[in-house]
Amino acid sequence: MSSLGDEAAAGTLDARDVTREADALEHTWRDRPGLWGWLCTVDHKSIGRRYVITAFAMFLAGGIEAALMRTQLARPENAFLGADRYNQIFTTHGTTMMFLFAVPMMTAMGLYFVPLMVGARSVAFPRLNAFGYWTYLVGIGLLYVALLTNHAPDTGWFAYVPLSESLYAPGHRVDVWAQLVTFTEIAALCAAVNIIVTVFKMRAPGMSVHRIPLFVWSQLVVACMIVFAMPAVAAGSTLMLAADRAIHMQWFIPARGGDVLLWQHIFWFFGHPEVYIIFLPALGMVTPIVETFCRRPVVGYGAIVMANIATAFFAFGLWVHHMFATPLPELGDSLFTAASLVIAIPTAVQICCWIATMWTGRPRLTVPMLFVLGFLFTFINGGITGVMLASVPFDRQAHDTFFVVAHLHYVLVGGAVMPLFAGLYFWFPKFTGRMLDNGLGKWHFWLFLIGANVAFFPMHILGLDGMPRRVYTYQASTGWGPLNFLASVGAVTLAVSVVIFLVNVLRTWRNGPIAGPNPWGAPGLEWAVASPPPPYNFVHSPVVSSAHPLWETSNALPVMTGLRTDRREVLITTTFDARPDARHSSPRGSIWPLYLALCMGVLFIGSIFRPYWVLVGIGLSLIGLFGWGWQSSRPIERERIATPNGAIVERA
Amino acid sequence: MTSLRAEDTVQDLPTVTFGQRSLMWWGTLGFMVIEGWTIALLLVSYLYLRQSAGAWPPAPAQSPSLSMPSINLGLMAISVIPAMFAARAGQRLDEPALKRWLVVLSVVAMAILVLRWWDFEALRVRWDANAYSSAAWMIVGFHSSLLLLDVLDTIGLTLFLFLRRQPVKTFSDAADNSFYWYFTVGIWLPIYLITYVGPRVI
Repeated sequence: MSSLGDEAAAGTLDARDVTREADALEHTWRDRPGLWGWLCTVDHKSIGRRYVITAFAMFLAGGIEAALMRTQLARPENAFLGADRYNQIFTTHGTTMMFLFAVPMMTAMGLYFVPLMVGARSVAFPRLNAFGYWTYLVGIGLLYVALLTNHAPDTGWFAYVPLSESLYAPGHRVDVWAQLVTFTEIAALCAAVNIIVTVFKMRAPGMSVHRIPLFVWSQLVVACMIVFAMPAVAAGSTLMLAADRAIHMQWFIPARGGDVLLWQHIFWFFGHPEVYIIFLPALGMVTPIVETFCRRPVVGYGAIVMANIATAFFAFGLWVHHMFATPLPELGDSLFTAASLVIAIPTAVQICCWIATMWTGRPRLTVPMLFVLGFLFTFINGGITGVMLASVPFDRQAHDTFFVVAHLHYVLVGGAVMPLFAGLYFWFPKFTGRMLDNGLGKWHFWLFLIGANVAFFPMHILGLDGMPRRVYTYQASTGWGPLNFLASVGAVTLAVSVVIFLVNVLRTWRNGPIAGPNPWGAPGLEWAVASPPPPYNFVHSPVVSSAHPLWETSNALPVMTGLRTDRREVLITTTFDARPDARHSSPRGSIWPLYLALCMGVLFIGSIFRPYWVLVGIGLSLIGLFGWGWQSSRPIERERIATPNGAIVERA
Repeated sequence: MTSLRAEDTVQDLPTVTFGQRSLMWWGTLGFMVIEGWTIALLLVSYLYLRQSAGAWPPAPAQSPSLSMPSINLGLMAISVIPAMFAARAGQRLDEPALKRWLVVLSVVAMAILVLRWWDFEALRVRWDANAYSSAAWMIVGFHSSLLLLDVLDTIGLTLFLFLRRQPVKTFSDAADNSFYWYFTVGIWLPIYLITYVGPRVI
């Protein structure tokens, strides 16, 4: 490599040369036209955008289910939904919001933005990324076909055994849940490996670990959490529960030596980290928004990184607080109470850092900032009730009541959905090249904030008054009618606010004001490229010398040239200090990810009905694996090989 | 910001790298962690069930037979040798040696896969007899799926090498394939100890 300051390389690049190279890159990286190109795309932005739109559609579906439940509960002894339909809808609501909306939405934002933020042209494994998305889509198809045909799961989003075993839940409803979980876990794990390797090996030159954007840090931490959390639920749902039901295994059958509490341990070992898997990326979105609209770097970069890591660490140590009502040793209860209290500290550290940033900055109350403020208010309330529930005596009183429903909605709506909306307003210009309408955005924010509090605050009181979760109706004599009606009014307000957001998106997607590359004056690398970004992201690899590259570069963006324009090539850098290390080829579009996802559909959905479909699915997958490998191994031109002994050899 | 300033060029960097300098190595490591962790959770679940059981295995089941699983364990240990030589041949860019060792590894890997049938037989109980048998069958079964995947990968790699499909990149891929093979063999050891030897001692 030539040295820094090489006369031939130094200096501003000729704009005509840059345009010529951009044209060549456009030709190399763009998808094939038409439906085939759409099905074959491996562009992380296309996949990320599809993930976001699909996950938002799931948010709307889950919202409609919530509206149906709130209609049913609005007055005592209502006959709007029967008990059976209500059971299916609350199970589908929880399953949709947790597995099909929240986790995929957060990873989707990562899959779209992480490569842009680290200055890469793509993700590490583009075809794996596409495979993950299609697998997720197959899972959605499974659940919603089941719902529309009256076969949706009906044992709650955590499918407790023995209720979910064949004896008490005959038919295939629980099988649908178990296999849906399998699809979403496969998708999440594919995304996690992609994000980890992209962050480790594809950061822009100079982006050492202390210059990684905080959103990327949160995505990295969460991807590592997914790697350790998702196998638990995959093992529990696919290898244990589905096997119990399909081939009469005995994991959870006490009469045959099985143990029902094993399911709760396995599920919540995944389930509690899941909350932070949803919530940490949302916090990651807050930081760049606060920085941008306060016009200063965030206070406590290192503290926020450490808070993310500490949260991830503790998140795996408090699953038993979901099981305080089961007969566990008291010493264990105490330990998990302590862990549940301690985890509030790193989150509080992050909140203090944002408040300090606002305090010492010049805040502008744009719509993304309003949502950040709404998040702080709502989430802190949810956090406080979380600390209350960490106490065993309180938890035993409130367990399985509406108090818990209120708590989890304050945490997830306040802690994840509000920052997500902040992020969608903030990055919508990057997705589409257009600005969302500010006035409609403010209507959306205020109605959402009011609606969320009116819908969920009364549930605290209902819970303390003894109203249990998952009941389809209640008697008038309980006195729960008025507060339930109020909660339903709040739900309507929330629905109106989301409709306003949809109107805003639909109006501005094609015809909104042109955004330009960096409409907010933000510091991250994603704002250095056009809006929406071109298929290759960056003409040349940016060179980074701070955590806020666009704020610290006064004139021209420093770059490294030399990646090829006539084939898809990405720059590999070293893991810690991001020194340029290699150029790797990146795959073109491929149909095999879609084909293999469909094979997974045959395998797992077929296994619900007959075990031999597993063999059929494996057989069909072999064709896909061969095709995938064949495409990877197409003969290409000469390569420069770095052997492990340090030699560089050129060979075809 | 529209203008760009060139600081350096990366055109002389290598396009094929080995080990942790390669994306595929990291991807392989990621899936090894996921699969290894899944097996760890299954083994912990097995031990969790054991702690609340009186006899292990529960009567009338017998402890697993050790003869065939031990033979297969020995074969797996031996298979590390061709895997290691294949990785080294890849790293030396020695195509004839790589072909030779990948063929040997493919044959040994298929033999291990065939012998896996008797690993199941050695459990001496059906999967649906009780929680013990379910756990043992599932642990061995899950590992078998990893084994199948690795055998297919090895055979596919060998095939592509003989068909001269991108031989250059195969050098690095072969090293990563061996890396995964070590994992498949290594993770079998705790499974063997807990599910086959374990019932005699815990």
